Amino acid sequence: MDVLDLARTQFAVTGSLHFLFVVLTLGLAPLIAIMHTRYAVTGRPDHERATRFWGQLYVINYALGIFTGLVMEFQFGLNWSGLSHYAGDVFGAPLAIETLGAFFLESTFLGLWIFGWHRLPTWLHVGCIWVVALTAYASALWIMMANSFLQNPAGAVPRDGHLVLTDPGALLANPALTMALPHVLGAGLWAGGFVLMGASAYQLFRRTSEREFFTGSLRTGVVVALVGSLITVGFGYAQFGAISAFQPGKFDDGGAAGLGLGFMILIGQPLQLVILFVLTPLVYWLPRWRWVQPVLMAITPLPFAAAILGWLARENGRQPWMINGRLTVADAMSPGLTPAMVTGSFVAFTGVLLLLAIVDYVLIARTVRRGPAAVTLGEPAPADPHERAHALSH
Amino acid sequence: MDILWLCVFAVLLVGYFALEGPDIGAGMLLLFLGNTPRDRDEIVAAMAPFVLAGEVWLVAVAGVLFGAFPAAEGEVLFGLYPLVISLLVSWIVRDAGLWFRRRADGSAWREGWTAAVCAGSWGLALSWGMALVAMARGLDEPVIVLPGLAGGLVLAALLAFHGWTFLSWRLPGRMTGARRSGWALLASGAAAAAPAAVLLAAFAPWLLERTASAGALGVLSVIILPFAPVMVGAQVWTWRTFGPRRAADRVPSFF
Repeated sequence: MDVLDLARTQFAVTGSLHFLFVVLTLGLAPLIAIMHTRYAVTGRPDHERATRFWGQLYVINYALGIFTGLVMEFQFGLNWSGLSHYAGDVFGAPLAIETLGAFFLESTFLGLWIFGWHRLPTWLHVGCIWVVALTAYASALWIMMANSFLQNPAGAVPRDGHLVLTDPGALLANPALTMALPHVLGAGLWAGGFVLMGASAYQLFRRTSEREFFTGSLRTGVVVALVGSLITVGFGYAQFGAISAFQPGKFDDGGAAGLGLGFMILIGQPLQLVILFVLTPLVYWLPRWRWVQPVLMAITPLPFAAAILGWLARENGRQPWMINGRLTVADAMSPGLTPAMVTGSFVAFTGVLLLLAIVDYVLIARTVRRGPAAVTLGEPAPADPHERAHALSH
Repeated sequence: MDILWLCVFAVLLVGYFALEGPDIGAGMLLLFLGNTPRDRDEIVAAMAPFVLAGEVWLVAVAGVLFGAFPAAEGEVLFGLYPLVISLLVSWIVRDAGLWFRRRADGSAWREGWTAAVCAGSWGLALSWGMALVAMARGLDEPVIVLPGLAGGLVLAALLAFHGWTFLSWRLPGRMTGARRSGWALLASGAAAAAPAAVLLAAFAPWLLERTASAGALGVLSVIILPFAPVMVGAQVWTWRTFGPRRAADRVPSFF
């Protein structure tokens, strides 16, 4: 592989890993916020346990979203400085807004939420998780806006060898964004719903002592996945019209874009029909029919696979352009990037991130396996000194 | 407008060293002050609520560099290539240590990730010190040089002192055996941020030649500045909620 291939592969691997975790963050965040709100309204212990159990799963998943996101943010300057040089005036704005107006708040309020259990007044604590959910969605908006600019550079004109922002409204109204954003948010809900469904199916199949808990969450998961799949598929097909206007022939050449799209639809379309015509009508019985639960577990990873394939289709379909029609990927690469540099960063980033991603999934699986009784997020401080000493000795 | 965004950039960079500095410093001292597993849990519990609110300042620094000074972004990050890699890997290893150390049982698991927190914090401090020296020497020069290592050690010492002061403020009389006021913490924060602040002052004219267009800065201002009170408010709320005079920490904490 030459330098360009290595830099592209590095971006593809870190970007795919990022979205693998972010798609679940997007799906679970509103669900956790709703669970916490129900607990605050009713004060019922089962709602508290649901918030803490699924909240811990969400928080563990979130860690890899951060790690991969850091590499994504800095990678632009490391390997693709031609992009900021040529189009930083336009492309940089949504990224800067995302870091300041969305992620800054998301991270601060997530810290307050994680460590605010038994410290913050109930409704302020609930408010924190709602800010986290809203800013996660805001992040998706700004990042998708930046990506849509690469697909279809609206709102900017070339001047003195650079792109200059002339119409900020056109960034927001970009047809590459308007249908793709709900598509991505729907995929998040689909993935989040499937994780609820799959984890609950696992516990019920193992004849859990928490029958009621996981019966409820399995049904919730199916309903959320239904909503998510309808949004995803609807807005997925709705994109074709817009794409044909600014990237005609995007999927025609039989390359990675066409394959990604084909396999994504091959997974997503039948799966949506199964949710709509099988899982949803049977949602009452699924927690009782033990024989069906291994199937539910087995299909849990499918929306994640489809999401990655969708990104590969969207991004590969832009080749050879970094900014469609304006800047090629080759010209966007940092001038002077050597094979040693890009190999070093490739090995360091993908090595560390792949390893941590595996550890993270093992820890998520462990959280699911041990169930709500073993959750440490929001655990009350042991009141009894003896118990406290016992807890400390571990 | 460009002066305004230079000020925002300066506030974020100084804010990073002053507010994330304690976590880096406490992480560096984790294996030296924490003699028992219980001590180490207590130190981690003291810093844990501030980490997410602290590290985000650097994410914002990079974002503003991209949005407001796009011509500088590529030059700085590409010019510091190996140091940016070691900074990011150290940062990720430190964070992974914090997120993972209490997610499974067994002392080997916990002590391994505790060591990752300490090693990652050292890596962060040394990478930063070397990066600041490299910036001062000029980006055309090689970045991994002996004066850079000396700079790394100086910044590591400043951050370790900031972390020590933080632990003396947060856990008075406990891990360090000392008690420090919030004013002392402010002073050590100023010391930790000083090298970056001096360098930034010297680089101000260079940065101002690399600003985004007035139109782009206007868009950033209109969208971001309304959020500024919420961003500052959330930081103040974090430091008030988890300050030393509040309820005792739950040890071990979630991290």
